[in-house]
Amino acid sequence: MLGSTADSLFWMFRYIERVENTLCMIESGFQLYLLSSNNLYNEWDAILKTNSIRHHFLKKNNSLESLNIINFMFKDPKNLNNILLLIEKARENARRSRVSITSEVWEAINTCWLYLNEELNKKINESKIQTIIKNTREKIALIFGFLERSMLKNEILNFCYLGTFIERFDNTARILNTRYYLLLDEKKFRFEGYDNFQLEMILRSISSYRSFMWKNQNEIKANKVSYFLISDKDMPKSLMFCINETIKNLKSVHKKNFTKNNSFLNAISIQKKIKQKNTNFNNYSFLNSLFKLNMTLASNIEEEFNFQ
Amino acid sequence: MTYLTKKYDEAFINKNSVRTNYKKLINWFKNQDNDELTKKNSDAMKFFQNTGVSFKVYSNDNKENLIPFDIIPRIINYKEWDKIVRGITQRVLAINFFLNDIYGQQEIIKHGVIPVDLIQNNPAFLKQMIGFIPPQKTYNHISGIDLIKTNSDNFYVLEDNVRVPSGASYMIENRDTMIKLFPELFSRYKVFENRNYAKNLSEILKKSSPKKTNRNPNIVLLTPGIYNAAFFEHAFLADKLGIELVEGKDLRVINKYLNMRTIEGWKRVDVIYRRIDDSFLDPLSFKEDSFLGVPGLMEVYRNKYVTIANAPGTGISDDKSIYSYIPDIIKFYLGQKPILKNVKTFKCRVKDELNYVLDNLNKLVVKEVHGSGGYGMLVGPLASKTEIAKFKNKIIKNPYNYIAQPTLSLSTCPIYTKKGLTSRHVDLRCFALLAKEKVSVTSGGLTRVALKKDSLVVNSSQGGGTKDTWILSS
Repeated sequence: MLGSTADSLFWMFRYIERVENTLCMIESGFQLYLLSSNNLYNEWDAILKTNSIRHHFLKKNNSLESLNIINFMFKDPKNLNNILLLIEKARENARRSRVSITSEVWEAINTCWLYLNEELNKKINESKIQTIIKNTREKIALIFGFLERSMLKNEILNFCYLGTFIERFDNTARILNTRYYLLLDEKKFRFEGYDNFQLEMILRSISSYRSFMWKNQNEIKANKVSYFLISDKDMPKSLMFCINETIKNLKSVHKKNFTKNNSFLNAISIQKKIKQKNTNFNNYSFLNSLFKLNMTLASNIEEEFNFQ
Repeated sequence: MTYLTKKYDEAFINKNSVRTNYKKLINWFKNQDNDELTKKNSDAMKFFQNTGVSFKVYSNDNKENLIPFDIIPRIINYKEWDKIVRGITQRVLAINFFLNDIYGQQEIIKHGVIPVDLIQNNPAFLKQMIGFIPPQKTYNHISGIDLIKTNSDNFYVLEDNVRVPSGASYMIENRDTMIKLFPELFSRYKVFENRNYAKNLSEILKKSSPKKTNRNPNIVLLTPGIYNAAFFEHAFLADKLGIELVEGKDLRVINKYLNMRTIEGWKRVDVIYRRIDDSFLDPLSFKEDSFLGVPGLMEVYRNKYVTIANAPGTGISDDKSIYSYIPDIIKFYLGQKPILKNVKTFKCRVKDELNYVLDNLNKLVVKEVHGSGGYGMLVGPLASKTEIAKFKNKIIKNPYNYIAQPTLSLSTCPIYTKKGLTSRHVDLRCFALLAKEKVSVTSGGLTRVALKKDSLVVNSSQGGGTKDTWILSS
């Protein structure tokens, strides 16, 4: 496989995953807006910070007005991570690696792109926001469905998944990073205005509220939320799950000698770090170091496989 | 709506009388529900859109455009087709002999068949190729020959495209679409398969591999990238051929060999099916500022460690001024009479012919010698007086750059509209593959149709559409 093809596959799925994650955040913010919640501004503030776009948004806007934020996240060209641009980049990479993916996967990406262009290039009506998010998430699910069902189980698929899980790790780590204070051990330190509602919002912003409640007998506690997001190997958005998947795909793509590669060694060290921290998460620098290690891991992969 | 047949129409003799080839089709058509057809027509466009079949037309909005597809097939019977195949075979062989000669001994010039200045001053003539014999002595592995029909008997050759002809992917996609939309038609007609094009292309590329590489050749398709108008086709063909789609940045010359950058390191390349023009191939030999090619590629090529298909320098043979000599070229190398006729062509470089052209601009089509895609041409009968005057000045300034042809009455075929069938002008691009002096012509080709009423310009860059083209096997 060409290095540049691996590059395109990897980034295609980083962008697709980023679209999905961004949509989840928009949805959680929009829900609060509909409920006219008191926490609305805190929540938008956290979402904008998580996406590193708060500064850019406030350059253009004086206040955190919900519909402006949603518009900004969907399509404002000043926001380099807007949904329209992300799907454009995902499709561009799909075009570059068109020969490596099946026509099913390609068509699923292409129709998702066509749909978003059609919906977002006109004025976004408040009443349509939920429909757009729902439809897009369905279309993304179709991409992953065809990826699983129609592709050969070879290194092409490995690079698709590496992109997916590196990006998902990044996203979960960002959310934790922005809101680490909510997850501090309650006994040691209580953040003012802290309540279960905000913990709930963390879970909603990665659309994992229901699965958390199911696993934890409908009881929300900071340490349990932390465990769920960081260490729970069954939770598809947890850091542990993401790093395990990354390791699996790295082993498979390297075939022999994987133990000697920086990417593999780095991934193992991330896994170890998470295991060691199983009981105690009250550390901003811990989360921050995981976030940075994941970025190093991404550049290890780009180097080792001769991306551009 | 009444069907008007002003020019030679391939389906109708007049509005009431249908030609044999089309009888079953027109009967079928009459029994179709119009709403249903309208729906299928838009299904076809949706199908193209979802699969990403597009052709980028360079414009300000940078959008991808779909080439309009017409659901009424064009039908050619076996007898007509057989003549076309023989004619194209002859032409493709003669062109290859010509190229070997023109970069070799230049016998054809010594015999006075072709004037020397036509070659000497021609930018498509690559000095880098002089004295070089390409692997398997093959220059034009892939040709796209454009034909037009003017009456019941004759197809004329309008252009021989041997640089980087495109369109084969649309030919294949059109057939796939028709089979999906109207399977019942294929049980009524026995139509020759055209999807073997990819298999044949794969075979000739394998055969073209240089002798020095004694192994299963690694073939790549070299594209300028995703922003190129024909990128869809590049990806489509690489996929069908099962080969890597590469850009210049994926390739590098290392230790005399050409290599591609893979996830496991460098891997040697034996054959390049290139879809970039000569001048971009190698910045060390041609355009210095080209980022599309590979520095040092020409040296590897000259050492015969890699095959480039089509060979660099092939463009000298499809230049529009050489075109008028093709019948002489066929006679010179094959000793045969041309099977397919050329369109009468006036060479502005010849004084008498120039004068005729200048006096008759309102009747002629004038083309740039190196132009393509329907750009930079004058269609006299449709042009305004000021346009003609402007063009006249251009010709006088540089007569070597122009040729002129009479305005031909291209045949028409029916296209589908909501109001019923209506006639539009068509041409036909046929695809021929050459390896070891054997030519295979793919049954069918790409019919291009001018969708505007009375328009004669069928190029997709100028708003033309396409049709599936059926060659009847009996």
